[in-house]
Amino acid sequence: MREIILAFLGSYCPAILFNIERKNLFWAGICGAMGWITYDGIYILSDNKIFASFIASIVISLTSEIMAKVFRTPSTVFNVPSLLPIVPGIPAYYTVLNIIENNIQEALYKGLEAIGIAGAIAFGILLVSTVFKYINSKKNHTCL
Amino acid sequence: MVINVEVKEALDVALLSGEILLTSGSEIYRVEDTIDRICNAYGIKSECFVTPTGIFISGWSKDNPKESVSLVKRIKSRTINLHSIEIINTFSRSLQTKKVPYDEAMELLRGMENAPYFPFYRRLIASGVTSFAYAMLFGGTAVNGIVAGIISMLIYASRDKMSRVILSPFFLDFVWSFIAGLMAIFANRFIIPIDINSVIVGSIIILFPGLAMTNGIRDALYGDILSSQARLTEALFTVTAIGVGVGIVLLLMKYWM
Repeated sequence: MREIILAFLGSYCPAILFNIERKNLFWAGICGAMGWITYDGIYILSDNKIFASFIASIVISLTSEIMAKVFRTPSTVFNVPSLLPIVPGIPAYYTVLNIIENNIQEALYKGLEAIGIAGAIAFGILLVSTVFKYINSKKNHTCL
Repeated sequence: MVINVEVKEALDVALLSGEILLTSGSEIYRVEDTIDRICNAYGIKSECFVTPTGIFISGWSKDNPKESVSLVKRIKSRTINLHSIEIINTFSRSLQTKKVPYDEAMELLRGMENAPYFPFYRRLIASGVTSFAYAMLFGGTAVNGIVAGIISMLIYASRDKMSRVILSPFFLDFVWSFIAGLMAIFANRFIIPIDINSVIVGSIIILFPGLAMTNGIRDALYGDILSSQARLTEALFTVTAIGVGVGIVLLLMKYWM
């Protein structure tokens, strides 16, 4: 429960910093909390950060695309704040830190982890956005 | 040579919308889509090429393809303002059903620059709570969270005041992370014992290039390889600047204390 509230705050407050519309703030928070719960749960089960990020990015993209359809806004509004906890800023930061402190092995490990997580997130987004693009194009054809 | 006024006006509206989108931190495909949509709505043909640092458009009217107008806009600063993206998105979609005259459209777009923003104290509190939440998520206790929150609020306030000073953004990131590291160490030594790692990570989370990273990934997925490289490099430089800032503090601590 504590983690859920923290993850909610961790997406709700950056959403204020990114200046999204008031009525969407709460939903951005919900989206981020769902993503973090998925990430944390799968990380505990599988002990694999890259796999966990992959599933979490699928969940986040799916939720934000659905919310974007419901509230009629671009999906970026929900996507960006909720991906913030999962985007590999922290492993990348540790990579640089370890290089400075001359722990090259640790730096390599963290750097590869950062690249892996970035790739996993990319493919998560790709999977969902391709499906939604297909649905949208079908809908447009039937309308025309 | 006579410039085709109709084409020029349509391109002006498209260029300004594109500029607002790009400076607000939009993806490239959205900027190109919006420009195309606006040009279509005004009934002209156009071709555009957008990178994170500039927009190039040229347009010509359907009945006279020989007289084309080209505009170039250099984009210097990029911030994050998702609200502007939303407004421009609705504006360009509404153009398709109802054509807005040139003056009205330009007025609407110029007014965007002083669009509603959250009041300063709310953004300040938000930055504090963000750092609090992340310091605790990454394995700290409540005390660590509160210290991280205070440090990040100080950084956010001074960053907001300093934003008019023209310095390289990477250098500023370096300075802020250096100061964050310094404050964390001082807090640890003189005020209350804390877990330095989680406090520093929590307090510099507001400096991280999260949007540049996600946008870099998304641009690549939509085929804008050039822009994706630019954004990922920007993210890499920012992270390096942050890491170096904190790293220097930690090294100094090792040798002095």
